[in-house]
Amino acid sequence: MPDTWRRFRRHRLALFGLALLAVLVAAVVFGPFLLPYDGERIDFAAKDLPPSLTHPMGTDELGRDQFSRVLDGGRLTLGVAASAVLVSLVLGVLVGAVAGYAGGLLDSALMRGVDIFYSLPALFVVILLVSLFGPGFLTIVVGIAALTWMNTARLVRASYLTLKEREFVEAARALGVPPTRIALRHILPNALGPVIVTATLGLAIAILIESGLSFLGLGFNPPQATWGGMLQESQRPVISEGHWWRGFFPGLMIFLTVLAANFVGDGLRDALDPRAAGRRRGA
Amino acid sequence: MVTYLTRRLLMSVPLLIGISIVVFGLLQATPGGPLSNGGEGAGAQLNPEQIERLRDEYGLDDPLPVQYLSWAGGIVTGDWGTSLRTGRPVLEMIADRLPATLLLIGLAFVISLAIAIPVGIVAARRQHSTFDYVATGVSFAGFATPSFWFGLMLLFLFSYSLGWLPSSGLEDLRETHTGLDGLWDRVKHLIMPVAVLALVTAASLTRYVRASMLEVLDQDYIRTARGSGLPERTVVMRHALKNAAIPVVTVAVLAIPELFLGTAITETIFSIPGIGRLFIESADQRDYPVLLGILVIASLLVVLANIVADLLYALLDPRIAYA
Repeated sequence: MPDTWRRFRRHRLALFGLALLAVLVAAVVFGPFLLPYDGERIDFAAKDLPPSLTHPMGTDELGRDQFSRVLDGGRLTLGVAASAVLVSLVLGVLVGAVAGYAGGLLDSALMRGVDIFYSLPALFVVILLVSLFGPGFLTIVVGIAALTWMNTARLVRASYLTLKEREFVEAARALGVPPTRIALRHILPNALGPVIVTATLGLAIAILIESGLSFLGLGFNPPQATWGGMLQESQRPVISEGHWWRGFFPGLMIFLTVLAANFVGDGLRDALDPRAAGRRRGA
Repeated sequence: MVTYLTRRLLMSVPLLIGISIVVFGLLQATPGGPLSNGGEGAGAQLNPEQIERLRDEYGLDDPLPVQYLSWAGGIVTGDWGTSLRTGRPVLEMIADRLPATLLLIGLAFVISLAIAIPVGIVAARRQHSTFDYVATGVSFAGFATPSFWFGLMLLFLFSYSLGWLPSSGLEDLRETHTGLDGLWDRVKHLIMPVAVLALVTAASLTRYVRASMLEVLDQDYIRTARGSGLPERTVVMRHALKNAAIPVVTVAVLAIPELFLGTAITETIFSIPGIGRLFIESADQRDYPVLLGILVIASLLVVLANIVADLLYALLDPRIAYA
């Protein structure tokens, strides 16, 4: 692990991504307490203002400060994305571990399941789920997780397949350690490396799916703001009234977060697998 | 070759059955069943007798396996049911919307390739040059740009501010244009939607072309070709490109279903009457026969693209045996 961190630090874009991600998360978590405005406060005297020093991201037709709303919305957007990634990881690790450790018929059955979920048209199925069950934290989190766990499952299964043949596992077995304990305590920690990469890249995907849903009007109900939801509200003001700031800043936040997560994910992948990284760079 | 294809097709049958069960099961898991819409959607205006009749018509009181078999049987024999919203056959509604979507996907696909192939090759040839850094930077950015944000900003710039491009639809509905003028009208309507749809595909394909080219240019046989005095152009275009293309073709084919899904957002932003828009409208109204129909098409597309990708891979790479 120290080696991995040393290689990761050499990856300048990844470091930049990590710093950016840290700043964004800090801004979203602590920002609302530091700003002079409340994101929900309506002030008709200050409606539809373009960005200025007092309102760096402008205001909307109700005079709400967009900067405060963007930070508020970010908390929900990032919260949903992080929860979705967590559920997706738990599901993927569980399926992958069981398939890889048990092998045989159970393994084939679970892997056919993975194939089926891989072939589902993900975005359409999430849209269907949300429209059938109604938008809400749980539906959106489960919907995203249900269509993104397969990568993790394949990776974990592959790790288990190789790890369970290794000497330390054999030693544990010879000592009479029960199989579940071997799978959880001895193999699992060694199988999690590649999963971290999937998790980071998964965060980017989850943010894009959640924002896309909100943009299509299938996200959280107003006044609960998310970045995608703010973009959806901004369609008319941007296209018909030219209030570009309404859409520009929420979208910029999505863009920066996804970019940062991708940088970190790529850096982690290179750091965990330096030989493949060399090949990728053509060295 | 034929045996390979047959085997591959046969292998996808259980997969398709599995997918259809999952898709069908999703709708059954709706709280209260497909027709109880909690006061929204297509079922909202119906009185209890009508609901009873519809339940009967759609066989909603039959056991689930029977319902599934009759639905799946209908899909195979071409009876995809009728829309709850319009009462028209689902297949007919999909067929109406297909041309617009195919046009968008086709153009976006061709343009993505037209950007990705030359940019990827040049970036790989001049690795670490300014061109390479700019191309890599732009493709990273393109990959992280939410398509709806990109579309909205394009609309602000080219429709609202500059007034160069129309903001919605596929053609000017106020007056008819003929000949070249008509063609130009179509082009103007398509520029922004195609750009939005192609963005992510172009970005990711550029990265693949570059990476694949870099790997091939590093091979011994390329050094041999250069060493034997062949002009650089021949080395790159004749010797390297052929092998670099193999993984790219696979990725490109698999991008087609992604483009299909992307139309949901693109067609919504630009009010284009295609399949993606139809899906969103039907989801709003919980028009489940239409939703199921579109899901079937999208799943078929994913499975088919995978088969075609495998097939092309086998065709292009002589090291892979068909058997």
